[in-house]
Amino acid sequence: MLEYQNLFTRVQVRTAPDPGLPIDEGLGMRIGKGGYGVLGYWLGKLGDAQLGPIYLGLEGAASLFFGFIAFEIIGLNMWRSVGWSPVQFVRQLPWLSLEPPSPEYGLHIPPLDKGGWYLIAGFFLTAAIFLWWIRTYKRAKALKMGMHLCWAFGSAIFLYMAFFLQPVLVGSYSEMVPFGLFPHLDWTSAFSIRYGNLYYNPFHALSIVFLYGSALLWAMHGATILAVSRYGGEREIEQITDRGTASERAQLFWRWCMGWNATMESIHRWAWWFAVLTTFTGGIGILLTGTVVDNWYLWAVKHHVAPEYPKQNTLTAQDLERLRGRYAGRLKGGYPTFTVPQTATPMDAPAGAVPAEAAVAAPAVAAPAVGAPAVAAPGVAAPAAQVPASKPPVAPAPNPAAPATPAGRKP
Amino acid sequence: MITRSFVMPLRNCALLLATLALGACRFVDNRQTSQRGYRGTGMQVVYPQKATTHAFQTTRLPSVPPPAGESPPGPLPWKNVQVLNDVSVAEFNRTMISMAEWVAGPGNCQYCHNVANFASDTANNGKPLYTKVVARRMLQMTRNINGNWQAHVANTGVTCYTCHRGKPLPNGLWFYSTETQYLRHYLDSTGARVVTHQIAPSNQNRSSVKQTEWTYALMISQSRSLGVNCTYCHNTRQFASWEQAPPQRVKAYEGIQMLRDVNRNYLAPLAPVFPAVRLGAKGDAPKAQCLTCHNGVYKPLYGAQMVKNYPALWGRADWDGQPFPGIHGPAKPDSTKIIAAGKAPTAGQPAAAVAPAPAKPAVAPIAKPARGAQEHQ
Repeated sequence: MLEYQNLFTRVQVRTAPDPGLPIDEGLGMRIGKGGYGVLGYWLGKLGDAQLGPIYLGLEGAASLFFGFIAFEIIGLNMWRSVGWSPVQFVRQLPWLSLEPPSPEYGLHIPPLDKGGWYLIAGFFLTAAIFLWWIRTYKRAKALKMGMHLCWAFGSAIFLYMAFFLQPVLVGSYSEMVPFGLFPHLDWTSAFSIRYGNLYYNPFHALSIVFLYGSALLWAMHGATILAVSRYGGEREIEQITDRGTASERAQLFWRWCMGWNATMESIHRWAWWFAVLTTFTGGIGILLTGTVVDNWYLWAVKHHVAPEYPKQNTLTAQDLERLRGRYAGRLKGGYPTFTVPQTATPMDAPAGAVPAEAAVAAPAVAAPAVGAPAVAAPGVAAPAAQVPASKPPVAPAPNPAAPATPAGRKP
Repeated sequence: MITRSFVMPLRNCALLLATLALGACRFVDNRQTSQRGYRGTGMQVVYPQKATTHAFQTTRLPSVPPPAGESPPGPLPWKNVQVLNDVSVAEFNRTMISMAEWVAGPGNCQYCHNVANFASDTANNGKPLYTKVVARRMLQMTRNINGNWQAHVANTGVTCYTCHRGKPLPNGLWFYSTETQYLRHYLDSTGARVVTHQIAPSNQNRSSVKQTEWTYALMISQSRSLGVNCTYCHNTRQFASWEQAPPQRVKAYEGIQMLRDVNRNYLAPLAPVFPAVRLGAKGDAPKAQCLTCHNGVYKPLYGAQMVKNYPALWGRADWDGQPFPGIHGPAKPDSTKIIAAGKAPTAGQPAAAVAPAPAKPAVAPIAKPARGAQEHQ
């Protein structure tokens, strides 16, 4: 009975290593001679387990070098964030992150420790990715292949670049994706919430269709070929032009099951386009977000995509206005960059410490005006409660202020 | 045949094991859901049935002392009683005994008091009794919450026990640090809204994704504090929508406003009173968050109306023992006076402290942020 070199095959290929086609050595040399190595047996379970020879060339070497620099910058910044503690670095690694600059820097270059390292790491990572793309292009050319691989990789790079271009379009590097395991997932969640639920973004929906579709096509194709491999179906490339009983049976199966069939060639085009369109539509969806549409849910309501359900809260217009509050982005201090708050000043500090406009400025705003905690205390005292400048020796008054109803709340 | 008879028991064993394993999952997880919105929208509260039942059954309320009667005729014998001076003597004593049990342990008067002179704010050696000064301010805070924040606490109200649970330090106290930065929303930062209320982008909302994560952290802290999932307060298809949200979201909003009042006017200003050991790394006083009262439960103490038995905490002298209908008047102003050892500047006490409160609490002017303040318009 025939044995097939499929997943978990029992055939262990052991021949003289295949050096491959001759290459133009002016562009770079192959490294190593190739062989089966210590992992050979286990890799052999997956098929032909030959390792190497490897071709790096100029772009490959430069790509690895740039990638290493990015990796080091990210890793060292993470390590620094736990005070160079090796134990904490390992323990907290999934939560550690190299964060993009804060929003207040916009598209300006921040100091190194406030996002500068992030931009540098991003530059090197991007350079490494582009160099690797050039490598896929040049290797395909050298082997006189089609350009399918590098264009597909290019589609993935387009999505990657969308995460750089969208922040540039909305005017702030802060919107870029942090480097970190969980932090980049948190970013994904926050990005969706910020833009009113990305599930209502039609290009996000398309991307998901192609992503899940890719997995489905993979499963259908893989299962079909395995199922007909006893009839020579694993030689699917030959069967593109020379259809045998494996192709006939596979295609008949799908006509019986779903009414029509792909061919030995077209199934690969299906898979290629689904994979390429996953990242391509995703990238378009990202580029439209925050630039053309700021709230995808409301967009979906407008275009009758999102259904309406009964309201759970009956609120007046005034209620809504009060509850909605203010956008975080309008507040200069609203950026989540930690600043050390003012140290607590004694409660009975001279009244002059309170700005003169304190009593008149605050009630004008809709939501509670906010001071640093220490100065808020004498502030609420209002002019009526002038605290004596002479400081009691012990136990200063905890708060000379009347318990204030917060501004903005209906009395 | 031999092979077959050997295989069949194995297969049965595997089936049995699989059944047991699945059953174990169900036993361990034991999650219940309760629908709280329109069908099919996933508006469900998810909770672990066993843990919730256990927590409910093991929640104990302190026993309530018998009700107090009227004071004997004549002037009340107060000395340095600055907050609870509007209740009868018996009610006062009853409240004090309960407070000891709630905060410091039954009968532990000396946690706050100089037992040689209960009226004094200092120990015999002249050192200030910071616990007493803090407790006095906390009484004012409790009355303020019960009187002015019915939008959040309704008629359930709060007592010292709501947060303290028999311990001097409540749960969930927080100090300034990089890790607690999102909690500053409960103190000196505002504007958690990040989702635009229109389709097109504009300069109205320049909220960053980073700010969204900040709001997210705040929300998750509330979710954990109350032991509920997001859909308790939100229709998660649009977090920003108030009309699609359950009414609990409005309650939570009022809670945030209440926490701001509590933190800014009662807790944070106590920093100079506390000894260094009670302060944070930045020298700030301990501050409260949702967890401080809620302790992982959607209603603190599962909504037990403790405070209806303690009229002193409502600030009503005419308490008649009926379930409390709510205070519609203003809170008492802070009448705290410190009797410090030696030269206390009594003449210069704040004028506002003795002035009668306005009929309706006017919107109190709040300090415009001074230099270094975190926020501006």
